Amino acid sequence: MAEETLLTDDFLRQLMNVGEVDIVVGLPTHNNAKTIDPVIRAIQAGILKCFPRERVVIINADGGSQDGTPERVTGASIDDVWNASKVYALRTLHSISTQYARSPEPGTALRTILAAADLLRAKACVLVSPDSTTIEPDWLQRLARPVYNDNFDMVSPIYRRQKFEGALMRNLLYPMTRAIYGHRIREPYASEFAISGRLATDFLAKEIWNDDWGKIGAEICLTVTAMTGKYRVCQAFLGMKAQPDRSARDLLAAMRHTVGALFSSLDGNFPVWSTIEGSQPVPTIGAQSEVMLEPVRVNRKGLREMFATGVAELEPIFRSILSASTISELQRIATLDVNDFNYPADVWAKTVFEFAASYHKSVISRDHIVQALVPLYRGRALTFSLENREGSGEDIERSVESLCGEFERLKPYLLEVWADRK
Amino acid sequence: MPLKREAGWYKDAIIYQVHVRTFNDSDGDGIGDFQGLAQKLDYVQELGVNAIWLMPFFPSPLRDDGYDISDYGSIHPNYGTLQDFKTFLSNAHDRGIRVIVELVANHTSDQHPWFLESRSSQDNPKRNWYVWSDTDTGYRGTRIIFIDTEMSNWAWDPISKSYYWHRFFSHQPDLNYDNPAVREEMWNVMKFWLELGVDGFRLDAVPYLIERDGTSCENLPETHEVIRELRKKVDDQFPGTMLLAEANQWPADLRPYFGNGDEFHMAFHFPLMPRMFMGLRLEDRKPITEILQQTPEIPASCQWCLFLRNHDELTLEMVTDIERDYMYDIYASDKTMRLNLGIRRRLAPLLDNDRRRIELMNGMLMSLPGTPIIYYGDEIGMGDNIYLGDRNGVRTPMQWSGGWNGGFSIADPERLYSPPILNPVYGYQAVNVLSQKRTEHSLLSWMKHLIQIRRSSPVFGSGSIEFLHPANHRILAYIRQLGKETFLIVNNLSSAAQAVELDLRRYKGNILIEMFGKNIFPRVGDLPYLLTMGPYQFYWFRLRRV
Repeated sequence: MAEETLLTDDFLRQLMNVGEVDIVVGLPTHNNAKTIDPVIRAIQAGILKCFPRERVVIINADGGSQDGTPERVTGASIDDVWNASKVYALRTLHSISTQYARSPEPGTALRTILAAADLLRAKACVLVSPDSTTIEPDWLQRLARPVYNDNFDMVSPIYRRQKFEGALMRNLLYPMTRAIYGHRIREPYASEFAISGRLATDFLAKEIWNDDWGKIGAEICLTVTAMTGKYRVCQAFLGMKAQPDRSARDLLAAMRHTVGALFSSLDGNFPVWSTIEGSQPVPTIGAQSEVMLEPVRVNRKGLREMFATGVAELEPIFRSILSASTISELQRIATLDVNDFNYPADVWAKTVFEFAASYHKSVISRDHIVQALVPLYRGRALTFSLENREGSGEDIERSVESLCGEFERLKPYLLEVWADRK
Repeated sequence: MPLKREAGWYKDAIIYQVHVRTFNDSDGDGIGDFQGLAQKLDYVQELGVNAIWLMPFFPSPLRDDGYDISDYGSIHPNYGTLQDFKTFLSNAHDRGIRVIVELVANHTSDQHPWFLESRSSQDNPKRNWYVWSDTDTGYRGTRIIFIDTEMSNWAWDPISKSYYWHRFFSHQPDLNYDNPAVREEMWNVMKFWLELGVDGFRLDAVPYLIERDGTSCENLPETHEVIRELRKKVDDQFPGTMLLAEANQWPADLRPYFGNGDEFHMAFHFPLMPRMFMGLRLEDRKPITEILQQTPEIPASCQWCLFLRNHDELTLEMVTDIERDYMYDIYASDKTMRLNLGIRRRLAPLLDNDRRRIELMNGMLMSLPGTPIIYYGDEIGMGDNIYLGDRNGVRTPMQWSGGWNGGFSIADPERLYSPPILNPVYGYQAVNVLSQKRTEHSLLSWMKHLIQIRRSSPVFGSGSIEFLHPANHRILAYIRQLGKETFLIVNNLSSAAQAVELDLRRYKGNILIEMFGKNIFPRVGDLPYLLTMGPYQFYWFRLRRV
């Protein structure tokens, strides 16, 4: 989609009225009427409280909502915030909205917001998820301030997580991204983050937007761009993140958006990541991580069943993706009873790396490769829950750190299979 | 010869604020005087203004630039004689220029004979003309105005061994308006000047006339009673006289000073002024429209008085803390520029001597609803001297020419009441009346043109205002209307060019005539009316149906 069609005449007219700004707050939406009100109120309060002097605009990129979400965004009155919190706005605060498509495309939503930020010459661009109902006004400051005042190019969030929440992040996305790109970014695929105008402009110019990767995994691509370019990256602790209800089908979609995008990023960045050894911490504002220990019900039996079924049914596919030794190990694990179940960290890391290499070579359809990883991930998630059943927050951190260590230790193996696999 | 005192003359007035001391020295003693002022009336007339507001010129120890009066019925010898004043007044009236004098009614100098008598003993007949107390604990809820210099509103008098009340400097004891004798005497003072022919009074510090325990001692109902009493006497005996209130208050608190058209005719709109500066720097109309929307309706016979700068600091009392911090950071980054809760700077330096911004601010001053006041020297872009202390930095000699003392005085420069501005940017050799009169495009020439257009129609002084709400917040647009005349005013507050679409469907079929160049703009149709505007540009359009 060319930029001139991305920015409709009506949207351009709105941008013209907004004029140059200091900060853009982007809000990609699609049928979020149920959750959007507190999010908007928190954003407005955050602007008034933390950036009263700055020129700020809220830009809603909507993917064809049928529930009046854009109207709720543009109609939210700043007076309500003023009455509730007695914070006073020096300036006019614009909230504008555009419908970029009839159906949601996260990449296009991000592109629309970044294109607007670029046009408005924003110094900082903050993205906020429309279903983050636990958002506090301070989030805005924590995300935007390092970019706006301290010349960081990207601020990635850290959330307070429930102990078994974010398992995909803890078991795959974080360890793999860290091992590949050498930056210890806890949430490489975040729905809240801030970037500099410079990074926004550079990222917009990338040739990714017409790829599937650009359409569905633009956020992780943005993180990778920040890590692989000469950009300053940091993290900011935000607090508790509401976890939207997810169905089993959502996991597949999430893995397509995240794991698929991460695997794709390896293709073009090989010269960069192949030379990186180990990993470095990134500057972090606030806590490094926080874990809540309330008991959460995990369907361990179900996870084991899905893993075992997947290993059995997908064996022909695994033969084109995985090495014989890995398949053999998976088959052994599949025989384990749920209480003895253990998908060891080193086997998991090797599994993921072999998938990544197969994805690179496109041994079969790339989408099928990602789909095939889903049951194996469930097995790893089961192991994570078993290992940490009685664990404290520190135990969980140690467990994640240990897994990351395995991914880093086995990175040479990735380089090996990357080159060898036919 | 006195001008006829027409009711409502002040609504169409443009007022020029002058301190006699600062304007023109006729006798070479280094201090401006009434004869000197009279010599410059042609200049004032050419400028186009039709009223002069004189700052206090009464005998005074001059510890607060004349706001510490020691005799209400005479002229300070520095400025001439009562006869000089009468001559000046007559000459001004001959030119159609009305004269407003300052009445500092709230307090006197501690050298005023009334106070000297009052403090002489506790049983002196004038003891009750001031507010005395055995303790300094009364009226505890009252704020201190001059926070940089005063620790308390009470001062100890070692002579009568008690405390006296003062809202301003401790050498300015407050008169006791609960005492009918004080009210009567103040009316006698007013009568004296009205009989000489003055056209109005600017009453200084009116919210503080009366004190009551358990209150803020500001805006009390009893204060309004005093004002109504004076107003009635004025209306009965000198109809057409204008009373102007100096009450630095929020609009809602100011509104009562108009009463039902039976208190003041005019009052300064203090909260608007800092917000005009704020709006300009924020490039956002919000501060301006917000305060004007909060401004209550006033009786038809009354009027707001608008100003950009005056003899005091740019007061930031009537802004929120966040706004004050912003104003300090933007307009007074050097702390020397700050005084009390304000900024002691003139218009041109505040606006970085940017001609476009100076024009825009004056354009708004002349087109928003109210009677505008121009502070002497701002019409030529005079600078200030923030190192002179107190507010003296904005009270330097008027710059008439590039010659000796800027043409203000033939005295030795060392003898001047204040050093003139000398720096290369704002000094009298760079900024002066003579050179600007010779240039068609000088600020002075432009100001004359602006004033001429403002005076060409009563719409500006008496018309209604309705704000337009274009989506571009950098544009401040409003309709001024009176009878069949309609003006459209559009101001670009931004330092960059802007496009704006105005909803003028109500005026469909009208053509727009730009009032400065008299050029015709396209007819208003059904579509939003598109204007493109240069940085800080403003348009005044007359709407005309052809």
